[in-house]
Amino acid sequence: MKTKYALPIILCLTGILVGGCSNTRQVMKDGKRVITFWHTHNDEETVTLKEIIADYESKNPNIKIDYQQVPFTDAETKYQTVAQAKNSPDVFRSEIAWTAKLAALGYLIAVDNFATEEYRKDFLKAPLKYNYYDGHYWGVPDVTDCLAFMYNKRIFKEANLSVPKTTEELISIGKKLTYTKDGKDKYALFFRGDTYWFLPFLASFGGGMVDEKGDILINSQESINAAQYLIDLRLKHKIVPYLVDFANDYDNQQTGFKTGKYAMIINGPWSTSDLLTGQEFKDNNDNLGITKIPAGPKGYATPVGGHNFVISSNRETTNKKDTEHLKEVWKFVSFMTLPENEAKYALNNNLLPARHSTYELPQVKSNRFITDFKDVLETGFNRPVIPRSGALFVDMKQPYQAALMTNKTIKEAFDEIAKAWEKLLKAE
Amino acid sequence: MLNVKKYTPYVFLLPSVIAMLIIIYIPLFMGISYSFTDITQRNANKIEYVIPQVESNGIITLKVEEKTKPVHFIGLKKYGECLAEPMFWQVLAQTMIWTIGCVFFHFFIGLGLALLLNKNIKFKTTYRILLLVPWAVPTYISAFSWRWLFNADYGVFNQLLKALSLEPISWLSHPQWGMFAVILTNIWLGFPFMMVTLLGGLQNIPTELYEAATVDGASKWQQFKNVTMPLLKPVSMTVVLLGFIWTFNMFNIIYLVTQDNPHTDILATFAFKEFFVKGEYASASAYSVIILLLLMFFSFIQIKYQKNESLY
Repeated sequence: MKTKYALPIILCLTGILVGGCSNTRQVMKDGKRVITFWHTHNDEETVTLKEIIADYESKNPNIKIDYQQVPFTDAETKYQTVAQAKNSPDVFRSEIAWTAKLAALGYLIAVDNFATEEYRKDFLKAPLKYNYYDGHYWGVPDVTDCLAFMYNKRIFKEANLSVPKTTEELISIGKKLTYTKDGKDKYALFFRGDTYWFLPFLASFGGGMVDEKGDILINSQESINAAQYLIDLRLKHKIVPYLVDFANDYDNQQTGFKTGKYAMIINGPWSTSDLLTGQEFKDNNDNLGITKIPAGPKGYATPVGGHNFVISSNRETTNKKDTEHLKEVWKFVSFMTLPENEAKYALNNNLLPARHSTYELPQVKSNRFITDFKDVLETGFNRPVIPRSGALFVDMKQPYQAALMTNKTIKEAFDEIAKAWEKLLKAE
Repeated sequence: MLNVKKYTPYVFLLPSVIAMLIIIYIPLFMGISYSFTDITQRNANKIEYVIPQVESNGIITLKVEEKTKPVHFIGLKKYGECLAEPMFWQVLAQTMIWTIGCVFFHFFIGLGLALLLNKNIKFKTTYRILLLVPWAVPTYISAFSWRWLFNADYGVFNQLLKALSLEPISWLSHPQWGMFAVILTNIWLGFPFMMVTLLGGLQNIPTELYEAATVDGASKWQQFKNVTMPLLKPVSMTVVLLGFIWTFNMFNIIYLVTQDNPHTDILATFAFKEFFVKGEYASASAYSVIILLLLMFFSFIQIKYQKNESLY
């Protein structure tokens, strides 16, 4: 190559390197307004989503929905990265635990005046509450979920036993369903070491994480009792497998339950389609029992989860003050939350609707899984609704698992969690 | 026309200098400067609450509330907090066990195999290719395979233990076995690199030296001790240092194999969680600076030691 070309070529390359980071998003394309939307649905749910969006676009020919599937595990980090540069998608499907955090960082637009009191009335209380932070509503619920007690009806029928209703019954019935002789290894229950799975017991024993006032409850006697109960299930009553494997236990739980190794597990509505492919359930969907998690001294309890639709404070909506755009974005969000659209997810993908009126639709009422879960949902409670609720779980995980492994006493471990949370809540 | 000759080297350097500046040096100095502040995810950016108001005629106006929190310069306070954190010392000890454990086995397994492959044996190329496989497989695939092998319920290791009527082990969740599991995984992944590099070093040793040693009546062991070892030293020192730095910062294996077992956390994974999971930018930066200083210290010792050595 002739050296006289070197300089211009090098400068060009440098220019490409530096200039490669410009924003080329268009709000109007071919005379249509483009609304960008990031969702975290899995592939099966995306089929339902496509159908709903096609419906919206045919009803609103002036709108094009530019939607993108973002893997759930990366979505929060990815969204924060683009939101920092005010480059975020107009609508984002945010997990409930992210919403308060994204609001506190100033990434969202308050929807109080769109989602008026009249509109909000139709939503279930717990999922709606996750949208409320610092005096404003920052989103509206999409779908909700909760942990439920799942059992293999065949095993109970063969042993002529009924499903445990209380934590005491769980022990007495569990003992009858556990055989570990002759290398057969059948356990009554599989219990995961993830902190989220601890929450139902934490609440039903009268303990908790952090209350509304910000007081820490994790090292209270009730919380310690809850952990002691779970440790006893494994070490004293031996109705839960002795071996633990926190890195693999979600898959192990699913596999063991599908093959009939475990009679009972705890899992959410997201897992039902997978469970129904297992040998125990694929020919007989009815064999999968879904009910409330056994009640402790303080009754039934389950943590409510789910997803919200949030609207971004981005270049279009905030910097350019394009309120016409904002209006269209809200119109799209309110369409997405319509009962008939929620019902589609419920029927196709077993996701739980977040609106009262969706549960009244005949097609939803006749779905056994949804109505089963609806009963469990009635026992639901909110996780702490603070921006750093995710960080609470991070600090909780290691000491809690050390307590489960009996590497630390429960008191030591939970005091350690309380200390970490104190620091965290003070920095809030 | 431009005097090309004089400027050419600089012009060719320009893209990489700019790229290095953007990708390495600016973030590095930003990171160092963060560690002297109380910056977190919650005060790093301008925060505004945008509250749309809907007028009775349907017109929307935007009301904006300022919520930005200030960032303060706090000097070395963050370092004090980090060093006072008991978890930091536990993680530092784990990092040393992990690094030394891995590099030790990488080196000696690599050296042993390199010595074997340096001999005139049949199917030498085939062995070499086979031994390189762990290195060629993408890390996450190996990591997931090993995680599967260690699975408490369905893994091969526990099936073996059961077949031998021994107690199965909670490999990945146990404090000590967890560390054992990640180290074993990383040994499997890392020895081929050592083997290839050391084999290169061995092949560079002139055969005349061995011939002379044989003439002098040196035994195989004496040859190894007095010819191979000293001549392999420069290569060994470099690969050990490289291995040390890589392993010290090796993130993916631990992240993918044991996930959240606190007993397998090393400084790199610890700082990552501080930053990305907790949003504590300042303390994550302070930990990163501590990692940088530690690695600079080790490299410094190694370089100094290497300089004082004469070969022949």
